[in-house]
Amino acid sequence: MNNQENVLYIPKIELGIVIDHIPAGKGLKILDIISRYEEMKDVVVTLGQNYYSKKLGKKDLIKLQMEYLAPEIIQHISIVAPGVTIKAIKDFKVHNKVVVHPPKEIRNLLECKNPKCITNQEKHIGTKFTAVDDTIKEVKCNYCERVFKLSELDVINR
Amino acid sequence: MKKDLISMEDLTLEKIKSYLSEAKKVEGTPLQDRVRLLPGKILAALFFEPSTRTRLSFEAAMHRLGGSVIGFAEQGATSVSKGESFTDTIHTVENYCDIMVIRHPGEGTARLAANESILPVINAGDGSNQHPTQTLLDLYTIEKYLGKITGIKIAFVGDLKYSRTVHSLINALMKFSVTDFTLVAPEALKLPKYFMRTDQPGKFKFKETESLEDAIPECDILYMTRIQRERFPDLVEYEKVKDSYILSADMLKQARPHLKVLHPLPRVNEIAYNVDKTDFAGYFPQARNGVIMRQAIILKHLGVTL
Repeated sequence: MNNQENVLYIPKIELGIVIDHIPAGKGLKILDIISRYEEMKDVVVTLGQNYYSKKLGKKDLIKLQMEYLAPEIIQHISIVAPGVTIKAIKDFKVHNKVVVHPPKEIRNLLECKNPKCITNQEKHIGTKFTAVDDTIKEVKCNYCERVFKLSELDVINR
Repeated sequence: MKKDLISMEDLTLEKIKSYLSEAKKVEGTPLQDRVRLLPGKILAALFFEPSTRTRLSFEAAMHRLGGSVIGFAEQGATSVSKGESFTDTIHTVENYCDIMVIRHPGEGTARLAANESILPVINAGDGSNQHPTQTLLDLYTIEKYLGKITGIKIAFVGDLKYSRTVHSLINALMKFSVTDFTLVAPEALKLPKYFMRTDQPGKFKFKETESLEDAIPECDILYMTRIQRERFPDLVEYEKVKDSYILSADMLKQARPHLKVLHPLPRVNEIAYNVDKTDFAGYFPQARNGVIMRQAIILKHLGVTL
């Protein structure tokens, strides 16, 4: 399937946000995240799965008919699917794009996997994780000091 | 000076050395002078789980500085048992004291208290995470006996997998460029590789052995720990190893004359009583050093200089 055909499957949007280069299968996970935010409730969303990608082999793609995606949601996406591209579309053209990477410090988004960690007992305090190194593949809980792979941590249920 | 002492991970080599030199000053100050240092000051010892040695040692330390102690020794006696949150307890107690010492089974609890409170917070053990005052008193004991820390040879014996004390001390010793570690443990209780991780490959040598006899002649410090029965998924395995690490006076015939045996205590049977009377036994003086180090810590974190 080439790029020309892709256009047929997901029509171009005049104004909106495209989340591109999502590893195949992760599209649904990102949709799940988006749906947790109140401001996303009425947004028109299109999900495409298993598109051909030169870079990834297969990819998912999400189009959002909205002008502005909150930084909190972008950060959230960057943790679940590091390396995706977020494009702002204006007049059917890419106006701005950014490849998102997880921040070095992640606050109040992830749940600590250590059942004995105080953040799992006193839920109101929130959580904080700091990257162990520049690759941001591993993060350390600022409370119990355990190190986890970023990919193994779940997002706090809102 | 940072107001809290939460984790050895927060301390640079220089900071660790400053605690050691403060403890030395404390020890050099006569008891009758020490007792005049903190009149009217109150230490709150908040022990959400029982711990005899650490709590008594902090209490003794504060009393001998002329201050007083309030607190509790178990969670059952507190409003937490009525459903009060930990953070509410902290915000209440901080009105009653000048410094807080906290032990809690929840990991990260001391960090939380430090974030919440305007007062200095000292971590006296948060689950299996950190127990920095134990590590500092261990380092002080080693330096006192050997006159140095850098370059010493140390063997750790027993439960190296779960012992928080061992993990924390190894990490601190690596900061002092101690490079020779002998690790004596049964297969099931070996030191996790994670603790040997370093960004200076080749600098540190970790010699793993299951034989205590082999380790004794080569080390300056023999750091013993208790083998905990409950750690073994298979009790047959426990039965096999439980007596392999009992240190007796006979075994120490091969030791260097200045070797010292340390132990965080309590011991069960891993050090025979006949070792107590030898010059090698360092574990009771180690407990005494605990009071001195904790005095140094209290003074430092209350901003009192000797």
